[in-house]
Amino acid sequence: MFKVKPVLIKVVVATLALSFLALNPTQAATAIPKRIISLSPSATEILYAIGAGNQVIAVDDLSNYPSTAPITKLSAFSPNVEALMNYKPDLIILNADATKALEVKAALEKLKIKVFLERAPLNLKQAYLEITALGRATGKISGAQSVISDMKSKIAAAIKKGKTSKKITFFHELDNTLYSATSDTFIGKVYQDFKLVNVADQAATADSAGYPQLQSEYVIKSNPKIIFLADAQYGESLETLTKRAGWSGITAVTNKNVVSLPEDIPSRWGPRLVDFYEFIASSIAKVK
Amino acid sequence: MKILKSKGTESVLAPIWNWKITAFAAALLFFVGIMAISFGPVSLGFTEIIKTLFGLPGGLTGQDRTLLIDLRLPRALLAALVGAALATSGAVYQTVFRNPLADPYLLGAAAGAGLGATIALTSAGANLYSLLPIFAFFGAILAVLVSFFISGKFFAEPNSLLLSGIAVGSFATAVQTYLQQRNSSSLRPVYSWILGELTVANWQVVTWSSIYILIALIILITVSKQLDGLMLTDEEAYSLGINPNKLRVIAVVAATLATATAVSASGLIGFVGIVVPHLVRGITHRVTNRGLLTIALVGASFLVLADLGARTLLSPAELPIGVITAFVGAPFFLVVLRKKRLVNQ
Amino acid sequence: MIKIEDLNVRIGHRKILSDINIEIEDGKWTCLVGPNGAGKTTLLKSLLGSQAYSGSITDSGVEVFKNHDRNVAFVPQHPQIPIGMSVSEYVMLGRSKRDGWGNESNKSRNLVADILQVTGLFGMQSQFVSQLSGGEMQRALIARALVQEPTLILLDEPTSALDLHHQIAVLNNIELLKETGVTIISTMHDITLAAMYAEKIVVMHQGKVLLNGTSDFVIHSPELKTAFENRINVFTLDSGRPVIVAKKDLSN
Repeated sequence: MFKVKPVLIKVVVATLALSFLALNPTQAATAIPKRIISLSPSATEILYAIGAGNQVIAVDDLSNYPSTAPITKLSAFSPNVEALMNYKPDLIILNADATKALEVKAALEKLKIKVFLERAPLNLKQAYLEITALGRATGKISGAQSVISDMKSKIAAAIKKGKTSKKITFFHELDNTLYSATSDTFIGKVYQDFKLVNVADQAATADSAGYPQLQSEYVIKSNPKIIFLADAQYGESLETLTKRAGWSGITAVTNKNVVSLPEDIPSRWGPRLVDFYEFIASSIAKVK
Repeated sequence: MKILKSKGTESVLAPIWNWKITAFAAALLFFVGIMAISFGPVSLGFTEIIKTLFGLPGGLTGQDRTLLIDLRLPRALLAALVGAALATSGAVYQTVFRNPLADPYLLGAAAGAGLGATIALTSAGANLYSLLPIFAFFGAILAVLVSFFISGKFFAEPNSLLLSGIAVGSFATAVQTYLQQRNSSSLRPVYSWILGELTVANWQVVTWSSIYILIALIILITVSKQLDGLMLTDEEAYSLGINPNKLRVIAVVAATLATATAVSASGLIGFVGIVVPHLVRGITHRVTNRGLLTIALVGASFLVLADLGARTLLSPAELPIGVITAFVGAPFFLVVLRKKRLVNQ
Repeated sequence: MIKIEDLNVRIGHRKILSDINIEIEDGKWTCLVGPNGAGKTTLLKSLLGSQAYSGSITDSGVEVFKNHDRNVAFVPQHPQIPIGMSVSEYVMLGRSKRDGWGNESNKSRNLVADILQVTGLFGMQSQFVSQLSGGEMQRALIARALVQEPTLILLDEPTSALDLHHQIAVLNNIELLKETGVTIISTMHDITLAAMYAEKIVVMHQGKVLLNGTSDFVIHSPELKTAFENRINVFTLDSGRPVIVAKKDLSN
């Protein structure tokens, strides 16, 4: 067997791709939507990052980034078909978790409006696939590809910086009733990339979706070295944790390794994931 | 047998039921229905709507036509069907259980439907989503059957039946809560279903729900006149030509069928079964069950109006329809409670 | 003629009525008397046809169980009072036997109006039944039974909850019924009143019939004392009216 040069393969693939595009020029041209409504905050961030921002005419009430996006009162989770129709869109990006998403999609398609059903990715690889798909749907494939490669390199750099050989246990707090996220969730996998040990994993069977509620005793016993507060925006902080019965003895609390996560960034899986990875990396650096 | 006659009286008794009221209720429903399909975020011309409905030239075309025919019309029809079903079942339960605060959900039908819906959403993922109405339906029927079974006999005393209904309802809710805790991804869909939604009604839903609801309503309205006998003791009813136990079973089965269908089509919409019967009885000063058809028509109008509010008050967002009926219903409920206490003193 | 042969009634595990064999004459007022628990109400319900029994009860030769061809009015001791129903609507319910449920012919309306006048309820026709006093409620029940135009009227303790004045008023109203030829069967535990109004008295004790005869005969017979375990005395007034009084001294 002779070795095929990788360069040769790339040339063949590129030729095939170009000829495919050449054979179907009109399809590509008319398929580009010019009046997009995004009903997903993550999708909104991605659209602007890949260069499709000037094709967007409206975004839902939670899409606060970038600030130049035309934010409206439209709801991402309770889409109103009639209200959407009023904007005369040609593409709607709909969250698959929205109420009655499938029926909404069917109703919109009956009204001859295209719908892109966006599913929340379970891991990074799926996130990249979603970004590519959005690129294809909006005619910004190259924009999507450059965003993805940018994300890949920056995330790899962050992981390299933050990864530690020491075993660092952590607790990710969703709210003050101690709901957490296991390594089965997207955010759990982000932590996992840094080889952090998630104390919630032991309770994984309590909730098949990956969000179990932990007991206070258990968190104290697990003695995490770092605590990430996703509820910092609701008032939780090092001070409030210290006041909890038995919590002042936890390593993370005594060493003041309680990290307040910024709003929104942990729940958006667009290009700002990079910010999240970098944030975690610097938090880990403070743990010694 | 001689008829007793007093001396020289020319007294006239007011008729017990005036059918003009029923005609008025039907007209009201028609009017409210037209209003409901005319309003919304997208404005459609009134005359164009009428022309489209009657197939006359000059009606709506394209997207607007689809909007009217495939979105607004089925939604209004579903609201009318569900409203009629819930109002009529409420009135029937109030008569059968001799309790003016009885509700279609009393024998655990609501909790059973909620549990069925939760099971559909939490087992094997989203594949069962399309089967949710079926699960809810059987959940409701099963809960009512279990209530009957637990209370000991089919022809049980109304009060013991109510108590077992409460027990069954509590149990179903507890199981539902447990399932939701273990499958937090189901929280949002179950919650919004519980609040009741007619948001994306389509002709498919309208078709199957109308079959069951209309069958149940026809049965109930046919026996409505005899239902008055259930307001008396069994012996009195018997002496007047009624078989009270048989009538109770027929009435409860039909009312439960109507409720279960409504719940599986539109989620849990509360208070309709309390507000509408009392509204009609209060306005007409009559408690006879001859008013059942009127109650059905007014119930339909009530929910169509509530749905109109759900769609327009916070536009473009949708207010859950259960919130609107609760807003109207809860104070109403308190007024009835107070009136009952005053009357009993 | 109502014929009761070998009547036995069991409710659950308890035997309520045992081996009853009596005849009740048409057109007369028969009163069932006896202490509580004697089975009076059960016998009444059996005569109505709603209570299952073994043996035979025939009215004009036809078995009465579940027989809806008869026109029998039933006035219960504790009626179910519908909330929010007016007196006229309540009394009108009595016409459902003749007119069918939900129909009111003009004849019915006139009849109900008349009966309301006769029983003194016409002025209260729009009031709620739930607002009536005990005496008024009893009159409403009688009115409803009257408009039914029945061949047999069964009354369960029609006077027990009323004061003396109302008791007499109600019993007088029932007596008016005799003019129409209807058969009246009532239960009462006040034997003196029963003796004043009823033509025939049936004495019951622990599910059995001890006596069945005219009031005079029954009042003066020793079995009456047996039925009440010798706790009564029978006196006769100058007018010839019997008065039955409980004994204070229970040592006998």
